[in-house]
Amino acid sequence: MITPTLQHYLVVSGLLFCLGLLGVLARRNLLVVYMSLELMLNAANLALVAFSHFNNQLNGQVMVFFIITVAAAEVAVGLALIVAIYRKRQTAHVEDLSSLKF
Amino acid sequence: MNYMELLGALAPEAIVVLTALVALAVDLLVLRQAPQNARQVVAVSITAVGILAAIIALSVAAPSPPWMDGLLINHSTTAFLKQTLLVLALVAGILSIQSRFTQHTGEYVTLLLLSTVGMMLLVSSDNLLLMFVALELTSLPLYVLTAFNKESPSSSEASLKYFLIGSLSAACLLFGISLLYGLSGGITWTQLATTLRAGSEPIVYLALILTLIGFAFKVAAAPFHLWAPDVYQGAPTPVAAFIASGSKIASFYMFARIFMAALPGTAGSAAWSGATPGWVPLVAALAVVSMILGNVAAIAQRSVKRLLAYSAIGHAGYALLAILSNTEQGMGSLLYYVVTYAVTAMGAFAVVNVIERDVQAPNGESLTDFAGLSRRSPLLSLCLLVFVLSLAGIPPLAGFFGKFYIFIATAQSGTSQGLIWLVMLAIGTSAISLYYYLQILKQVYVVESVGQPTPVQLRPAESACIVAMACTVLILGCAPNWLINRFSPNSTEVRRAGVITKPSTTLELAAEIHPRITAPLGTATGLVQKRPQFETTTANAQ
Amino acid sequence: MPTLPDLLFYALAGFTLLFGFLCVANPFSRNPVTSAMFLVLTIISMAGLFVLLQAFFLAAVQVLVYAGAVMVLFLFVIMLLDIKEEERRRLNKAALGIGGVAVLAIAGLLVRALVQATPLASAAGQRAEGSTKPLGRLLFTEYLLPFEILSVLLLVAMVGVILLSKKEMK
Repeated sequence: MITPTLQHYLVVSGLLFCLGLLGVLARRNLLVVYMSLELMLNAANLALVAFSHFNNQLNGQVMVFFIITVAAAEVAVGLALIVAIYRKRQTAHVEDLSSLKF
Repeated sequence: MNYMELLGALAPEAIVVLTALVALAVDLLVLRQAPQNARQVVAVSITAVGILAAIIALSVAAPSPPWMDGLLINHSTTAFLKQTLLVLALVAGILSIQSRFTQHTGEYVTLLLLSTVGMMLLVSSDNLLLMFVALELTSLPLYVLTAFNKESPSSSEASLKYFLIGSLSAACLLFGISLLYGLSGGITWTQLATTLRAGSEPIVYLALILTLIGFAFKVAAAPFHLWAPDVYQGAPTPVAAFIASGSKIASFYMFARIFMAALPGTAGSAAWSGATPGWVPLVAALAVVSMILGNVAAIAQRSVKRLLAYSAIGHAGYALLAILSNTEQGMGSLLYYVVTYAVTAMGAFAVVNVIERDVQAPNGESLTDFAGLSRRSPLLSLCLLVFVLSLAGIPPLAGFFGKFYIFIATAQSGTSQGLIWLVMLAIGTSAISLYYYLQILKQVYVVESVGQPTPVQLRPAESACIVAMACTVLILGCAPNWLINRFSPNSTEVRRAGVITKPSTTLELAAEIHPRITAPLGTATGLVQKRPQFETTTANAQ
Repeated sequence: MPTLPDLLFYALAGFTLLFGFLCVANPFSRNPVTSAMFLVLTIISMAGLFVLLQAFFLAAVQVLVYAGAVMVLFLFVIMLLDIKEEERRRLNKAALGIGGVAVLAIAGLLVRALVQATPLASAAGQRAEGSTKPLGRLLFTEYLLPFEILSVLLLVAMVGVILLSKKEMK
């Protein structure tokens, strides 16, 4: 077992990103799809904090602060949209969003 | 830096934010019980005053002082782009008067203006963090605006798709940004440009691919275009028009800036023989797919808004050519192209808006609703003719010169004309696009309308906007030098991160063939010497 | 001889990935509430990793904002919509297969790119410590402009959410 380096953290964050992507592609419940997106954002946060720590700069951590705030704002809007759709269609499924086709 | 300095440098943006707040407050506090039409007129009037003030503030604004390096860039090109964005926002506001998609006029105008602020900041941003925040400020109001029509189920569905795909692109972009930051140790364009080089680390390419995917979603380049047709069709038409015009300008400018100014060391080459890895071949792949898919899929469309969406994907392909040329000349041609495209698309959507209100079909307009329009409203048909022919790239309209400049810039950028194959492909797909554009015109001018032709109801403000935009397209087509000259002096500013410009002999050749068109491009790069006979003629005149 | 922080890293990294996996592809339950709870656990494990990276302020924010506010919002919406029938539907096997293969390929490339990379940072030396004071100082000096823009962004979210979730009165 070796002392964790930057690479270790990046591998974790990369795998987390891929897990999120898997969720976005495979899951069909809108809420779970959106949770997977949050996972992808968190992967980016982890990479930023790790870079910030190992490069000895605080820039990266400031960026994470901004990303968390932006993500919170986005979550609010996204959930409001999901609620609006559910009221209209009684569904929270990706497949049911198919009225717009040519 | 302190608050006062910041306010001084960002006065136009501050004015727009203030206007948004005033419009919201007036609508919610004073005009709650007023009739819908009055509220719309008041909100749009407040918007117009604010936007006018911001445009004036932009025209007198000084270039950014040195303390802002790495945060913001203000120069005459960004000022011009911001003014264009403001005008487009105003038109989107005017188009919404009398449309029945919402009762919440104050919120509509506020979100429209705040999205415009996001675009203005995006145009100016000089580091990764500000770029990300500005991009979010641009997108978040657009998601909400897309869902504004609560009567129509397709509006909220389009919005949710836009939102999910937008968030996915933001996540990809963020991961790319975090890698770029980690590899370079900095977040400003200058820091990125001085540290990142191709070929050293495979992870650099990963960062490039993720950043590119993020931007490809934003500009709706195939194969990341899936949201665009649904959003254009489902969103209220004024909103769709703003997404198709304003957000295109801002995203494409940022797309070009980040790759040209911040990542020049990782460009690579897309030449037919001897391509090297980097972002240029990736952009070339996107451009090829977009041009083919956008133009072919547009043929099958029955809704004009969807048709415009697919044509927008094709146009994104042409604009990507300008980015991958990776020269100052490419930047100038890109800006000319996206500005003229934005005006044209806004105009086309404005006409669609009128027709849609006229038809009042539950599923929106379709191509056949345009049948016999020339009998019902000759003025509207004439404007639509100008817009559609400009989109198709017919001289002497602005769309033709946009494509022309891009093709020249692309052809000249590669060493020994390695990019000619892309230009050939672009010309081929333009020919295909002619087919579906003529389909629209056939409906308007050839096909008879069903039943007695009734005149189309047009409001004065709306028709003034449409005619003004048609005239702009015509004037920019007849005198393209005025606009392209605006973008040339600052091209060096755009590329100040230190890039070697490739010398080109074909540029001089093109100048010989057609001095009027290529001269401004030549002077932009400083490669073409002042023509000697020009000086002799002036001497003779004296 | 592994030290305590080293062991903690491996434990927390393992937890993060395990809970992340259970959040997106739980083989036992397809209930969104389960996913949400595992996402909370993922986020808390990540906050532990942040502490190891000496980003103390962010670790706190991560727990407060993400695990606290954001996930409560998720759970609230799940409860509000009373999503039950979703569970009966089957996952699309083909899409899952293709998605899985694609993601595995990306993950493989990613890990390979990361492992092959030459050490990206100096092995020893100063490490940034993200406590509240230096971060706050940066936020209100160097990053004042983006900070102010965030306030506009939050205003947009507020206006948007009220508008979207309000019932139309006729």
